Amino acid sequence: MTDAEIRAEFAHHDRSVARVNNGSFGCCPASVLASRARWQRLFLSQPDAFYYDSLQPGLARSRAAVAALVGAGDASEISLVDNATTAAAIVMQHVAWSFAEGAFERGDAVLMLLYTYSSVKKSIHAYVARAGAHVVEVPLPFPVASPAAIVASFRAALALAKSGGRRRVRLAVIDHITSMPSVVVPVKELVAICREEGVDKVFVDAAHAIGQVRVDVRDVGADFYASNLHKWLFCPSAVAFLHIRKGDPAAAQMHHPVVSSAYGNGLPMESAWIGVRDYSAQLVVPDAVDFVARFEGGVDGVSRRNHDKVVEMGVMLAEAWGTFLGSPPEMCGSMAMVGLPGCFGIDSDDDATRLRTMLRKDYKVEVPIFHNSRTQQVATTDANGDQVTGYVRISHQVYNVREEYEVLRDAVNKLVLDGFSCTQLRPSPPSQNQKMLAH
Amino acid sequence: MASAHTPCNDNAAAKKNGDGGTPITDAEIRTEFAHHDRSVASVNNGSFGCCPGSPGLARSRAAVAALVGAGDASEISLVDNATTAAAIVMQHVAWSFAEGAFQRGDAVLMLLYTYSSVKKSIHAYVARAGAHVVEVPLPFPVASPAAIVASFRAALALAQSGGRRRVRLAVIDHITSMPSVVVPVKELVAICREEGVDKVFVDAAHAIGQVRVDVRDVGADFYASNLHKWLFCPSAVAFLHVRKGDPAAAQMHHPVVSSAYGNGLPMESAWIGVRDYSAQLVVPDAVDFVARFEGGVDGVSRRNHDKVVDMGLMLAEAWGTFLGSPPEMCGSMAMVGLPGCFGIDSDDDATRLRTMLRKDYKVEVPIFHNSRTQAVAITDANGDQVTGYVRISHQVYNVREEYEVLRDAVNKLVLDGFCCTQLRPSSPSQNQKMLAH
Repeated sequence: MTDAEIRAEFAHHDRSVARVNNGSFGCCPASVLASRARWQRLFLSQPDAFYYDSLQPGLARSRAAVAALVGAGDASEISLVDNATTAAAIVMQHVAWSFAEGAFERGDAVLMLLYTYSSVKKSIHAYVARAGAHVVEVPLPFPVASPAAIVASFRAALALAKSGGRRRVRLAVIDHITSMPSVVVPVKELVAICREEGVDKVFVDAAHAIGQVRVDVRDVGADFYASNLHKWLFCPSAVAFLHIRKGDPAAAQMHHPVVSSAYGNGLPMESAWIGVRDYSAQLVVPDAVDFVARFEGGVDGVSRRNHDKVVEMGVMLAEAWGTFLGSPPEMCGSMAMVGLPGCFGIDSDDDATRLRTMLRKDYKVEVPIFHNSRTQQVATTDANGDQVTGYVRISHQVYNVREEYEVLRDAVNKLVLDGFSCTQLRPSPPSQNQKMLAH
Repeated sequence: MASAHTPCNDNAAAKKNGDGGTPITDAEIRTEFAHHDRSVASVNNGSFGCCPGSPGLARSRAAVAALVGAGDASEISLVDNATTAAAIVMQHVAWSFAEGAFQRGDAVLMLLYTYSSVKKSIHAYVARAGAHVVEVPLPFPVASPAAIVASFRAALALAQSGGRRRVRLAVIDHITSMPSVVVPVKELVAICREEGVDKVFVDAAHAIGQVRVDVRDVGADFYASNLHKWLFCPSAVAFLHVRKGDPAAAQMHHPVVSSAYGNGLPMESAWIGVRDYSAQLVVPDAVDFVARFEGGVDGVSRRNHDKVVDMGLMLAEAWGTFLGSPPEMCGSMAMVGLPGCFGIDSDDDATRLRTMLRKDYKVEVPIFHNSRTQAVAITDANGDQVTGYVRISHQVYNVREEYEVLRDAVNKLVLDGFCCTQLRPSSPSQNQKMLAH
């Protein structure tokens, strides 16, 4: 793939924006979008024939492609769903039934991480806490110095959850790569600890993982493993897979929450028919796999180069701003957390959101911003001695170029020079009204 | 999903027929549906709907609210399809059982012809959580709405078990799928209220765009319909209406829980993770499209109804059979008996015949098997018992010739002495038939 070909494949991206946020919505090249359009047209042309002749064989090919990619034993271990949020709902609903039907006792524990994705936390609350589980959150340090820091935190929280052996831990929810702040978690080690300590089931929410780090589901050894294919594996919105180990007795009890005539035929089949809808994103998985194979070294080559580039850009930004990375390079995939100058005074999630919005509108930079609460963390200061409470999460994907990170660098430097502080963006103080009038 | 040609833009003046522009022409209709496979007589709009080639979420909810007589856009949630809407209702009822608001053994009612996926949903959620499920037997062929009402009253009385059992939920189709009839939902909902049924869910998957929908008039607690079947939206988008002020509303959740959880079902449904919401975003465009027809959606559905009945009678006369319900119980779909000599004796027979019609005769039409044991024996003009029906649909893109292709295909099969035994596996005539292909 030449640079010119890459530009052509992503010509639909808004070129006026420094798009350093592949992590949120992913990307899809033109050739995969074209395949998707062909599937859509096939459906529109003769929907009944499509349903009877084309849909299920197409989905079977996609499941097989995923199985090969992730080291699954068998394509029957793979279910295709919209996104990791849906995969989480499947797992949580199963656990809720276990509580409701008495397989688990009220008060049995379910573990999750402090940085577990917000929608997954809500899912745990909506299903599992509601059904009677005692939910334990594993505190995680950030900035984080090494994988060992996460392992130690996890062991301690697990011991607390087990309450000296008086409480069963029925489920541990572990991110492979957390979203905000983003770090690569040593999942294999944590899964092993769960097995040693008698945790019933482990769900690895790997929403960001595939295409970013190597995924080998048997090596990780979780009971349930889910990842989005539209974030880092060039599929269109939206398609994800949920892997369940073959022979797991829970497999027959896992159901898609949208129940259709396929109910009872196994989760892969249930997920392949959840009523009339557009399945084209799920049908182009083989095309996306073909696309990434066109790069030198295939998906491993792509993720390795993305990693090297994002670390290089992260270090460049940190040097320019007098800050630092939120984790060592070994704990970065294709994303990196870079501290923002402490003088910005980011003191809340709202501050982070408003700053992000301003960067989007006024500086044409798209980058998510994480607020790191002062009370939670050890104070870490920048080169000027100001406490760093905000981080950008930069991503690098094949379409990114150095200039985009320089736009981000220069935008932040300009804000520093202008004496910017997040107080200026908060509603209702007089200086805010002046600022709005000036716009 | 843009077509290469955008007739909507070319006819901006014609967009609002109500404002005096000219209504959409046949040529324009053909262009809008140019992506349909023209070699196939496609008389099955009911299954998948259709979408014109021409081109957010709050606007969509408001458009739906206006269309269905809802008091407020906040009563409307957009979901993928009626199957998803059913899952939302069933999960809510399951929690009510699990958390003790309902008692194990309390009853839930559904119809014999409730859609298979909804039956599975009732089983997966509500029966699993402890409900006693009661199925309302329905006659088919059906002579009048009164026959359905009588059947419903009787089943409800049985379910209530002389007052000893609470009926917590009644699931009523507005238009059943197979066999397809228009059900007198308003009357059934009223009966449910009289008899103290807690909640009524009207599964109106087929209704909007086919019959007039006025959710306040129907009076159900939950009412859901697909917008991609008869209202020209792409796959897939449906709405679930929950009456404002219904205490259950705050307890209804989308099963795919996101960060929007707890903000009300409309908001929860508007964010279920990263995915393509474009089908939901084009509802106002679909509403604009149907407004280009004379009489708008009412005009379209009235003409579809007249045409489908016309074509149904034409087929019935040609085949010596009859309609499965009177025209008043048809929307834009009609059930027409197939000649009894076909010997359709199972759902598999029906499926195989359908496949043969698709592959060999280029006709797309679903076929319903009416079990001999369930129905009163009804014979065709030759005295053979009718056990199979086609479900024909009429939508704006259909032309008479397509129904004639269907008519002629069946007539040829009759002349050839066709019988479903020939399609069953392992019969010698089947092997011969396959070799001949």
